Amino acid sequence: MSAVAVARPLRQPTTHTQPRRHLEVVPTRAQRRARPRMLPALVTIGGIGVILLAQLLLSIVIADGAYQVSSLQSAKHDAQLQQHALSEQLDLLASPQHLAANAEALGMVASGSGLYLDAKSGAVTGSGGAAGGSILGAGDQVSNVLLDGTPLVTPAATGSGTTGTTGTATTTDAREGSQTSTDAGAGGAGQDPQTPGLLPSPNTH
Amino acid sequence: MTSLRMPRRRLSLTVIAVFAIVSVFVVRLVDIQLVQAAQLTKDADSRQVRTVTTYGVRGDIVDSNGAVLADSVDRFDITASPKNVSPEGFVRLNKDGTKTKVALTDAIAEIAQLTGADQQQLYTALTKDPTSDFVYLVKAVKLSVFDKVKALKIPWVYSEPHPARNYPNGAVAGNLVGFVGTDGPQAGTELTQNPCLNGVNGTSTYETSADGVRLPGSTVVTKPAVDGGTVTLTIDSNLQWFAQQTLAQQAQATGSDWGTAMVVRVSDGHIMVDADYPSVDPNDRNTVGVDALGARSFSSPYEPGSIMKPATVAGLVDKGLVTATTHVEVPARFTDGLPPGTVIKDAEWHGDVHMTVAGVIMNSSNIGIAELTKLESEKDRYANLRAFGFGSKTTVNFLGESKGYVANPATVDAVTTVTQQFGQGISATSAQVASMYQAIGNDGRKVPLTLVQSCTAADGTVSYPNAGPTTQVVSPFAAQQVRAMMETVTTQGYIHRLITIPGYRIASKTGTAQVADGTGKYGNDYIVSVAGLIPADKPQYAVIVTLAKPDTIKTSAAAAPGYATIMKQVIKTFRIQPSTTPAADTPVAW
Repeated sequence: MSAVAVARPLRQPTTHTQPRRHLEVVPTRAQRRARPRMLPALVTIGGIGVILLAQLLLSIVIADGAYQVSSLQSAKHDAQLQQHALSEQLDLLASPQHLAANAEALGMVASGSGLYLDAKSGAVTGSGGAAGGSILGAGDQVSNVLLDGTPLVTPAATGSGTTGTTGTATTTDAREGSQTSTDAGAGGAGQDPQTPGLLPSPNTH
Repeated sequence: MTSLRMPRRRLSLTVIAVFAIVSVFVVRLVDIQLVQAAQLTKDADSRQVRTVTTYGVRGDIVDSNGAVLADSVDRFDITASPKNVSPEGFVRLNKDGTKTKVALTDAIAEIAQLTGADQQQLYTALTKDPTSDFVYLVKAVKLSVFDKVKALKIPWVYSEPHPARNYPNGAVAGNLVGFVGTDGPQAGTELTQNPCLNGVNGTSTYETSADGVRLPGSTVVTKPAVDGGTVTLTIDSNLQWFAQQTLAQQAQATGSDWGTAMVVRVSDGHIMVDADYPSVDPNDRNTVGVDALGARSFSSPYEPGSIMKPATVAGLVDKGLVTATTHVEVPARFTDGLPPGTVIKDAEWHGDVHMTVAGVIMNSSNIGIAELTKLESEKDRYANLRAFGFGSKTTVNFLGESKGYVANPATVDAVTTVTQQFGQGISATSAQVASMYQAIGNDGRKVPLTLVQSCTAADGTVSYPNAGPTTQVVSPFAAQQVRAMMETVTTQGYIHRLITIPGYRIASKTGTAQVADGTGKYGNDYIVSVAGLIPADKPQYAVIVTLAKPDTIKTSAAAAPGYATIMKQVIKTFRIQPSTTPAADTPVAW
């Protein structure tokens, strides 16, 4: 109908100039509480790191200890072997054959029968008698092949430290020899009283 | 619509993919964990799990004082791997860091020098089969040698443990201890007590790291090793040595073929000494003949002769038929009840003499004993000998032990039934004779002989062998009467000078028995013996010394010096106090 151009008023330009206001949903307190926090996360991760590190160190220490245990065990085993070998040697040296041969090599003779003193009455009983002489006189009859090559402890071997007493021992022996002929006879081991290096013997009556 | 469908399809694709991947893993997992599990575990184990044998050590045999008679020792076999042997030798790293080149022949020479092995043999062993990985070089070397060989640092030398048996006291009680051969125990206590001594080997496994170090906490004992127990014998090894030494000297001085000496503790039947001549050194069994490898005192019965007489007389006294002073008329010869032409004589001819029963023992009159047998029935006489242990094994049940022989009244001939009462026609072992004297010394109570005192297991539990019952063979009075008769042997018998020990009352009896020559007749050989109890009034020890077939003296005087020497040593060893009362003065004649 009417074609009247009507000037429309310009639309008011939108106020672009004004910065848009920042809007934010304010979390509720519960939401805020549920939000992951930095510190615990760091602590946790750090903790895990520490634990891993500790484990690593621990396993290093254990591994190192394993070497130590291993070497100590082998040292213990070696020591046990050593102990066995030494006690084997000791048992051999303690055998009657070895003891008797050594005793006679040192000039000892078997004792005679014992005498008994009755403490109540003061009476002496028993036969006594001279020393029994050499047991091994006719040779060692009880073989022990393990002793082959085991040297005897000779007076010369042990006498080095007792040179001071050797002189008196010799005179004592000589005196006893002159006093009782039975002793010398029963000795039987063929010991010359003048032989140097004889072990000292007590002068008993 | 599509925007909605897309994520859903993506999701299902993802799920399918994940599922497929998981399936692959599951299949692989099942494959590894179940299908191939056994093979894989085995492969892994073979790389890192080591199985080691842990050795159960064979137990010791010790004497009553704990002295070791047999023990197990460490020895080492030195082995080599020929395929690692380089003909050019090897480079040795010295302690100071320098290196030395060692030629093969030098290395062999070093081993030979340390071990005493033959160089040529070592060389042959190493070069015979160059592809071989294992060869023995030297067997059973001691630790000191082994350490030196190890210190040579030869790369192809290895070793393995070789537990061995060792007898530090050599022949001391070697007859009783026995020995272990390559196939295990072969004689003596080693064999009879094997269940106690034997250790059981075990196994354990552990894992190793790549460089062979045992991983901590990975050791698993799959089978624990059990060490063997310790067998304690009743023997006193020092006295045993002395007895063996004395016996051997006496046997050699008289030219005897063999001999035995026993010392038995009267109160409990413990065998303190059981010496044999010749006797075996278990470390070297080749030094004696096969018949000397065991204990003759158990395995070799012989006609004991007159040392049987106390048993016969004890039976008679026990039944109240005689006492020590009962009068016996002893004629010059005895023929009563014997077949024509058979005569029982005494060692020395005499006319009709008047002896007491003690005199019969002191003079060791065969005729006197034969006269006395008339007082008792055949059956009772037989029962008496059996009660003393003749004709049956002792409770020791030693390897190869003989039970001897006593003629049964049902089958016995008219001669033997009489002669076996004085020890001819009967056979007994030294152990049986010792057991008889133990009973007489212990007031008629026969305690079973004991050689093995106890077995101490590795865990400390101690077990005692079942000894058997103690029996009262004759009355205490009978035993005491017989001892009084035997004392006259020590004070007046023909060897009294040889066996008297001043200050001590000793009951003794001699025996000189003819040895059958194998043709049913008696030859010119004798088995001579002296047995006795000390002190006679309250016996503590029974001693018996026997020598077989002596050449120089053919009477019990051959055994007497050895008997006296061992008796004196028994006094010293066990500190037997001198007798406080004089010897019983039992009349021997009337």
